[in-house]
Amino acid sequence: MRHLLMGAAVGAMLTFALTSTAAQAEKIQIGCTATSDCASAMVAVDEGLFKKHGLDAEMVLIGINSNIPAAILSNSIQIGGPTSTVFLQAADGGLDLVAVSGASIMNKTSNDAIAAFVRNGVTIASPQDFKGKKVGAPGIGAFLQVLFVKWLVEKGVDPKSVNFVEVTFPTMADTIKSGGVDAVLTAEPFVMRMTDANLGTVGARYAAELARSEPIIFYAASREWAAKNPETVKKFRAAIAEAAAIVNNDREKASAAIAKFTKQPLDLVKLTTPNYSEPVLKPEQLAWWIDVMSAQKMLQSKLDLKTLILN
Amino acid sequence: MSVPERIKPVLLPLAALLAFEAWMRLAGVQSDSLAPPSAVALALAGALSDGSLLTATRDTLASAFAGLALGGAIGLVLGIALGLSQIFNRLMEVTIEAVRPIPSVALLPIALIALGFGYRMEIAIVGFACVWPVLIMTRAAVGGIEPRLIEVARVLRLTQLDRVRKIVIPAALPRIFLAFRLAAGIALIVAVTVEIAINPLGLGAGIMTAQQALRPDLMLAYLVWIGVTGFMLNTALMTAQTTLFGRAAVIGDGA
Repeated sequence: MRHLLMGAAVGAMLTFALTSTAAQAEKIQIGCTATSDCASAMVAVDEGLFKKHGLDAEMVLIGINSNIPAAILSNSIQIGGPTSTVFLQAADGGLDLVAVSGASIMNKTSNDAIAAFVRNGVTIASPQDFKGKKVGAPGIGAFLQVLFVKWLVEKGVDPKSVNFVEVTFPTMADTIKSGGVDAVLTAEPFVMRMTDANLGTVGARYAAELARSEPIIFYAASREWAAKNPETVKKFRAAIAEAAAIVNNDREKASAAIAKFTKQPLDLVKLTTPNYSEPVLKPEQLAWWIDVMSAQKMLQSKLDLKTLILN
Repeated sequence: MSVPERIKPVLLPLAALLAFEAWMRLAGVQSDSLAPPSAVALALAGALSDGSLLTATRDTLASAFAGLALGGAIGLVLGIALGLSQIFNRLMEVTIEAVRPIPSVALLPIALIALGFGYRMEIAIVGFACVWPVLIMTRAAVGGIEPRLIEVARVLRLTQLDRVRKIVIPAALPRIFLAFRLAAGIALIVAVTVEIAINPLGLGAGIMTAQQALRPDLMLAYLVWIGVTGFMLNTALMTAQTTLFGRAAVIGDGA
């Protein structure tokens, strides 16, 4: 038994040694969640654009977006795709992150894809009807929830009167069906799937009503890494800019790359338009998020817009 | 008569599976968390044949065993030391009882920042979880050694090292092995939990990826496979225990 244990330990150490030497090669790892927001990076991998620009890039699938800042700081990934809210909260908490390139922004298509989906038996005639309801969000403080709270405030509803709980995307349909929550904050393809299964109706197209064009997700790195590797950042930006054009104009290629990375069935991916890719990121685009999050008391410090984005 | 006897215990689970399959199909259940058993079986076969399941199993078991070896070794050394020395035991009691109740997965956020994704973090967390059962059971095993054996060691004027090597470890070995067996179960649970929560490798990450890819069949296939892996691990350890220690193993189990 002891030999067995020793063998296993030695084996694990060897594997570890091998993986760490591999990481030392000129290689970057890009961490994203299973959404179309990082489609530009997925396409850049799939179409060989990173390679064309001299980068050996690999994508890592990360389960929960809020783990991305820690993963970047531990150098497990060099570039990650946090949502605007996760990035700003991490920066506010003192993690020295910097945005290196834009990934996705809100536009008409992506805003129309977002909905508060209400279960059967609950009627939402006006925003006021959300008062006292149990609403499932993919995360408290997550992009969709912050946006929803902003919408509630604009409509004169006190967000404190709504009971928010966390429900992950894959469990939303079942939670709505079982009546565990009254509504979920979700996006396509889930809205369509739940509508088709007669689980309820769309209660509000709150993102479409807000009609914003700020970033959803952007690519971020640690300031230290970005400062040490300006050439790599430059190559990354060039590849992403090329890939963004493909995401926005070639649904076939984009869908194939998204399906490959997220492992979602291709037919399902093809049903939804990927979120709009915008490689350019401007400080003023983050200003709106900072205002919204400050109003929701999600930020404690005063963030300096100029330092959040790498020139 | 012997064949039906052997089949009997399988009948109930089999009937339940068939009923579940029939219900899923007849009621036309559309779910992102449930899948009919036939689809799960197909997904399992698919994941086995493309090698992804075996790679994930290797990653999880490597981390679990390495963590078990690391945590077990620390637990063993400390357990023997604490079992032999009353003074040391009393000195360490508060420290151990203060650190021991920390759930190993609660260390994840710190471990992620300090160690990053990968084997290192998982091994560290599994190791932490495995120290305690081994430490406590070894301490009890060493403390419970027949006093006459210790007296013999004293009469023979054995050195401290020889006393541990020739008397303490052999006498406490069956119970120490039992501790390792329990720790092995914990190691697998903790390894999979770490992967589900954060670490993008192994069986736990496989479950999460399948769930996010809206493949409940594959997700449940991973779940079934983790059950099979755990069962095989336990059977192997049980067999090793009885082969290595014979009747002593049974005594250890009863203690």
